[in-house]
Amino acid sequence: MTVFSYISEFLRPSWIKTFFTVKTPPLVSPPYFRNFPTLTGKECTHCLTCKMICPSPGAIDVIQTAGVWNPQIIQGHCVRCGYCVEACPEGVLTSGDLLARKKEQGLIFTHEYIIKIDTDKCMGCGNCTTACPVNREIDPQIGAGGTSFSDKVLIRVEHGKNTVLHNELCKGCKTCMETCPNGAIHVIRNVVALQEEK
Amino acid sequence: MTVLQKLKNAVRKRSIHVCYVNTGSCNGCDIEILACLAPKYDIEQYGIYVHNNPREADVILVTGGMSAQWLDKLPDLWDRVPEPKAVVTIGNCPISGCVFNRPGKLINPPVSKYIPVTAAVPGCPPRPSEIISAILGAADILFKDYEIHQTEKKGGSHK
Amino acid sequence: MKKVVDVSIPIGPIHPCFKEPCRIKCETSGERVLTTEVELGYVKKGIEKIMVGRPWQETIFLAERVCGICSVVHNTAIVEALEEISGITVPRRAQILRIILNELDRIQSHLLANYSYCYTIEHETLAMYLLNLRETSMDAIEMMTGTRIMTAYVVPGGVREDLSDKNAAGILEATYTLETELKRFVKMFETGPMIALRSKGIGVLSVEDALASGVVGPTARANGLPRDAREPDPLYHELGWHMILRTESDNFARIMLRFQELFQSINIIRNGLAALEPGKIRNGGTMKAGKVKHTVEAPRGALTYDIEIDSAGQVVSVSIQTPSIPNIEVASHAMMKNLASIADVTSTFISADPCIACAER
Repeated sequence: MTVFSYISEFLRPSWIKTFFTVKTPPLVSPPYFRNFPTLTGKECTHCLTCKMICPSPGAIDVIQTAGVWNPQIIQGHCVRCGYCVEACPEGVLTSGDLLARKKEQGLIFTHEYIIKIDTDKCMGCGNCTTACPVNREIDPQIGAGGTSFSDKVLIRVEHGKNTVLHNELCKGCKTCMETCPNGAIHVIRNVVALQEEK
Repeated sequence: MTVLQKLKNAVRKRSIHVCYVNTGSCNGCDIEILACLAPKYDIEQYGIYVHNNPREADVILVTGGMSAQWLDKLPDLWDRVPEPKAVVTIGNCPISGCVFNRPGKLINPPVSKYIPVTAAVPGCPPRPSEIISAILGAADILFKDYEIHQTEKKGGSHK
Repeated sequence: MKKVVDVSIPIGPIHPCFKEPCRIKCETSGERVLTTEVELGYVKKGIEKIMVGRPWQETIFLAERVCGICSVVHNTAIVEALEEISGITVPRRAQILRIILNELDRIQSHLLANYSYCYTIEHETLAMYLLNLRETSMDAIEMMTGTRIMTAYVVPGGVREDLSDKNAAGILEATYTLETELKRFVKMFETGPMIALRSKGIGVLSVEDALASGVVGPTARANGLPRDAREPDPLYHELGWHMILRTESDNFARIMLRFQELFQSINIIRNGLAALEPGKIRNGGTMKAGKVKHTVEAPRGALTYDIEIDSAGQVVSVSIQTPSIPNIEVASHAMMKNLASIADVTSTFISADPCIACAER
């Protein structure tokens, strides 16, 4: 019985057709393959959103050549995830089908900054409060020790300790992290993946 | 001598024996190398055989950043491969460590610190069509005029 | 009277049948193998230490690259754990799309495991048939997400992209191709006399050893133990899932069980495509602090993520328990005792479907 089943394997019409008309396999990727991102030609505004969402260290950098900003991808580091294509607000990068589907379905990545203060390490010196540019814009007469009369500032020193009043005003420049002598304040970026209503 | 050299060049670019060494990868690149053996992306039609024996290999395929166990074993294995030989690395991990290159890691990229690397294919992981295009493009020039380059390196002249 | 020599033979890191480096040391007496010991540690990368202190959009990529064969299920497991901590709900269309991708991933993983086994028993024809069939399912994954492996398709609150009608028709056609070809191959495997000689009755796992060791996945279900982490999920029952068990616990039973699970996965994909309705695919949501232990069914068994995050979404501590850890222990201590010859060591080890990168991460 097994001899007949072996012979019947060779007499199948699909086998005969592929045996006599052999073709070399295709060495090209299909057009919807998510390849290394390339530039579209739209104008880049140097907002650095692509650089901050990239998960792989040293893969993307925004550089200036002849007065024009453009992102540059280094191929040995990039993992081809497509997050930079989806996160860019201007649509400067494209990869496969991703940019067309993003516009059609309204897919966006929003981010917010969260400030965390370690109360054991904070000594209430007020360096971060006076260095913060958002604070300086809201209340130009902020005290040298970090005290302020206004209730609308982002962060101020009250009762000897630093407190955060309005977290949503933070822009993420991380100047406070550089001026803190104890390393007690941290600015963390939190990303949310959303779909807009059409 | 030149006729013999031409014959050696023509033969060496048509028949390559391959051994692959996994020095700490996640298996993605190894599975894409296996997918090259499937009849859809047939790599044996170009004369490339995957036999996995270092003693009869021409080209060593390296994947993964070097983990701690392979630091002394990979140069030892490289010494046992008979001449002529070359190294092709596949994936992002041997070049830069990919996403694992953060504080607290146990791998030591890049691989070119330990053995001399001839060619590298980037991607995480690279598609089988990209691997085959890279190997076919490199097969012409990997072993071309191998004896002439060896005597030039040693400082002697060739007849 | 001739002497019977006791030697200890290493089956080394680089071997034609192994895709990943591991060393098996066998103690033999003549041709009969008495005991074996498995030595690991060649691919340790320290992923759990790297994850501490990273936000979620980088942790997902690290979790995906624990293993390249079952990368989709690691992605699903960590995202579902983060959603359970923060109380994020997922719309129904996104849940069905996640199940379709998980079942496509299970199809390609089972075909790879069976290809590995047929290669170790030197049946290269059937091995190459199965590897070629795997390309059909990889093309379906590429149509759905854009890449073949490491898709990063599941995000907290939903999925990354939507499925268009043209792609859904392409996936449906792929399931018909898979089913007709699979029926031919399963008949070849079941009725081949040389396959039966090398698989039936070899590598038998007794019930006491299975219960005492905590074995999971298809290795446990081929013994008659009903262990499957998809059981408490109501959406899986709605799409036509039920538990598959076999009672004889040798190499042949494990491979046949994987073939039967393949037919069930094809059925689930077809029911899922028919149950899709238009709607949203992402819900959004912010991270909160908490700690959870979440279990998902990977192609090789039950996968558990024990993760704790703080109020900003960064990881404080994580522990990953992969299914290959108990399976490799059982394979080396219980299955490979008193084998009839050394040639059976590799085929018994591969029939338990080990994934060394998962076990060492």
